[in-house]
Amino acid sequence: MSNSRERILAAAKANKPVEISLPTVPVYGGDATVERFTTVLTSIGGQVVWLDGLGQLPEVLQQLFPDAKITASLLFQGTLPVDARTPTDILAEVDLAVLPGEIGVAENGAIWLPETNMLHRALPTITQHLALVLDHRRILATMHQAYAQLPSTGAYGKFVAGPSKTADIEQSLVIGAHGARSLVVLLY
Amino acid sequence: MKVALFVPCYIDQFYPQVGIATLQLLEKLGVTAHFPPQQTCCGQPLANSGCERDALPIYKHFVQTFQDYDYVVAPSGSCVYHVRKHFDKLEQTAEVQHVRGAAYDLIDFITNVLEVKELPGAFPHKVGLHLSCHGQRGLHQANESEMTPVRDGQLRRLLASLDGIELTHLNRNDECCGFGGTFCVSEAGISARMGQDRVADHVRNGTQVLTGSDMSCLMHLEGIVRRANMPIRVMHAAEILNGLTP
Amino acid sequence: MNHAIRADKFLLDADRTTWHDETLWFVREKRDRAVYAVPEFQELRELASQIKDHTLSRLDNYLMEFEAAAQANGVHVHWAADATEHNAIILDIIRQQGATRIVKSKSMLTEECHLNPYLIKHGIEVVDTDLGERIIQFRGEAPSHIVLPAIHLKKEDVGDTFHRHLGTEKGESDPQRLTEAARQHLRAKFLAGQVAISGVNFAVAETGAVVVCTNEGNADLGVNLAQVHIACMGIEKLIPRLTDLGVFTRLLARSATGQPVTTYTSHFTKPAEGREMHIVIVDNGRTQQLGRPDFRASLKCIRCGACMNTCPVYRRSGGHSYDFTVPGPIGAILSPNIDMKKHASLPFASTLCGSCTDVCPVKIDIHTQLYKWRQVLGEASEIPASKKWSMKFMGRLLASPRIFGMSGQFARKALRLLPHGLTHSSAFNAWAVARELPEPPKQSFRDWYQQQPQSIEQPQHPKVPV
Repeated sequence: MSNSRERILAAAKANKPVEISLPTVPVYGGDATVERFTTVLTSIGGQVVWLDGLGQLPEVLQQLFPDAKITASLLFQGTLPVDARTPTDILAEVDLAVLPGEIGVAENGAIWLPETNMLHRALPTITQHLALVLDHRRILATMHQAYAQLPSTGAYGKFVAGPSKTADIEQSLVIGAHGARSLVVLLY
Repeated sequence: MKVALFVPCYIDQFYPQVGIATLQLLEKLGVTAHFPPQQTCCGQPLANSGCERDALPIYKHFVQTFQDYDYVVAPSGSCVYHVRKHFDKLEQTAEVQHVRGAAYDLIDFITNVLEVKELPGAFPHKVGLHLSCHGQRGLHQANESEMTPVRDGQLRRLLASLDGIELTHLNRNDECCGFGGTFCVSEAGISARMGQDRVADHVRNGTQVLTGSDMSCLMHLEGIVRRANMPIRVMHAAEILNGLTP
Repeated sequence: MNHAIRADKFLLDADRTTWHDETLWFVREKRDRAVYAVPEFQELRELASQIKDHTLSRLDNYLMEFEAAAQANGVHVHWAADATEHNAIILDIIRQQGATRIVKSKSMLTEECHLNPYLIKHGIEVVDTDLGERIIQFRGEAPSHIVLPAIHLKKEDVGDTFHRHLGTEKGESDPQRLTEAARQHLRAKFLAGQVAISGVNFAVAETGAVVVCTNEGNADLGVNLAQVHIACMGIEKLIPRLTDLGVFTRLLARSATGQPVTTYTSHFTKPAEGREMHIVIVDNGRTQQLGRPDFRASLKCIRCGACMNTCPVYRRSGGHSYDFTVPGPIGAILSPNIDMKKHASLPFASTLCGSCTDVCPVKIDIHTQLYKWRQVLGEASEIPASKKWSMKFMGRLLASPRIFGMSGQFARKALRLLPHGLTHSSAFNAWAVARELPEPPKQSFRDWYQQQPQSIEQPQHPKVPV
């Protein structure tokens, strides 16, 4: 519809106001402690657990998710190998996905998860439970700092802050909507 | 300094005691204000109804009436807000600009021009302060709950300086009363409901005397109080600060 | 039909009005707590406002930059002048796929374009996957709020709806159990989805990416399982750079619901291998609004809904009383641009209290625009004739001191002499439906003043007779 394209661009050009300059945005910082990250993430329904090193991972996961039968992970041998070609009906069976996060944001408990860490784009939301593993030294204070540290957002990537949730029924908070029912962050 | 008193039309006709209290309060603070008798209205009712053009002659008359005074003081934040903000539709002659800057709400004038921080006297009652939107959000006479949890402002401080006064802690510090000028008839249902909810907040939290600096809000709230036969006395802040007892 | 008439219907159920008002005030209070906790929040608002102002002032450039970046990512970019074109483009993409099962995450734009009925008419199944939207889809209702579409419904209403459509137990109204039922039901839809439609919260010109913010994860689940992703956006969703997201992601959820951020902030830049991604860029009246100097700032809106939550009128009349896709204060300044006649009552559905302006994360001067739309409507004769003529009459009265004085005297006398039943008859006097009129004093202020000696002493002030 190149005709519409031209019309829209011409109208935008004709109707736009005199140019106003883009402001400089300070890179606001603040409290980037594990304590703050933990407090905020807990308040939004997530859970934070310390690892004394990545070697502890399988043991801790076993304790946290004793009932998880089908697991997929980038960090150890899960029961199910998953990649971008895994069919939907197989993916839908995953109980627990354990993936590495890249950056943590203390002000809102969010973790940056790029596609390269997901195994399959749908995995972080189709799984019943999600565990993200994060180096605590990569926790920053604010979103400004987080975006400054991302080289790019890749082909697909997201900030994940806690388990999926909704308050659409009478403002009553329900944890576990369509995405993962729970989120655990394992810090090391 | 030459100070004029602007008495909004409905105060002139229905609440003259508020005009009188304003005059007397200023007198006590060392200011003899003059009431130019040819004044009429600030034009807000027309402008808010979409008839700004029809209000221009009223604006011009307002400017002519008050242009020779250093300050124009009114016991009404909404009229002052209108003059300051919406008289921009007039050609901005020196007189127009002067009058726009010279217009002051009474409490703002006392606080910022006379620099009075406290007033003598006692008022040992539980007082519910109604913040009028134009005074608070328009003229920045009090903190807005949208910005800060700290409840503070010009009138709160002046009232708090009276002996024995207790200020009601409302559930909603600054929700609109629902008067809104012609809104009170064009959206009569919502207007009434908003006013009833404000009054209920005061009743729930123990207000004995309901006050504020804008008589339009108080007129609306008083109408509701009296219809429901509630034991709440509505008084304009000028009356309280001037020493009237409930 | 106008807002006041619809509001009166809403108000008939006083208890339900109280519940609706308190529920939304609770959301406003959550927003307040989130805002108070960020010391630089007011600075962020100012920055967001300036970034959006800047973007609008270079809108055509950024649109072209965005398109080029998206195309370089292998994304198909389409342009729709209006709703009809938007709908046709989407149907065409769906048809080319041979698809019939669509999942859709929240997009007010697709509501605005009435996409669902159009697709359904053409034999396509469209499932709204946001929980609130699915509920109202079952009920055949429009959303009443742009963030909380089902806020007008009680859990018992949702229970009834799910009993009818999902087979939940009759009388079940526990939000937890109802949500679980919806999860299972929608999961099947996600797994079977062939094309996923999403909205766009932010479109990044620099990278060609679209950013979608949800709490439920329904956009991600739908898009990442479907063969084709169609992202629909208004031209005003653009922001210049990735780094600008730092500002907007800190403002959006705090303003909307009081959360520090939405659960998912997803950046879609390139389609997955072997899949397709389309972006539909829509005008539908936006460039026209851009051309209105007094009203173009309304295009900065990031659809957070804070203005609705704070509006005392919205809380007591509900979103449906506005009869526009986007209700509340922002709706009242967007809608006259689309249809001045139909929406003439909306700018008057306000006391101009200014709270909306205070909470807007991008500092749109909403209450000032409401006032200015009133003048436009007044000039275009879109205010009721009776109001216009009585205003003209008042204008002459208020410009003349003599007539003014006389009419005031008359009003007071009438109020004192006429019986209460007449002066307070609701047939003649809308004021008196809910309120007593003020007590009419014997003297006006000016009468009293004229009687005073030159130097004002301290006379007994006349007590108003009770």
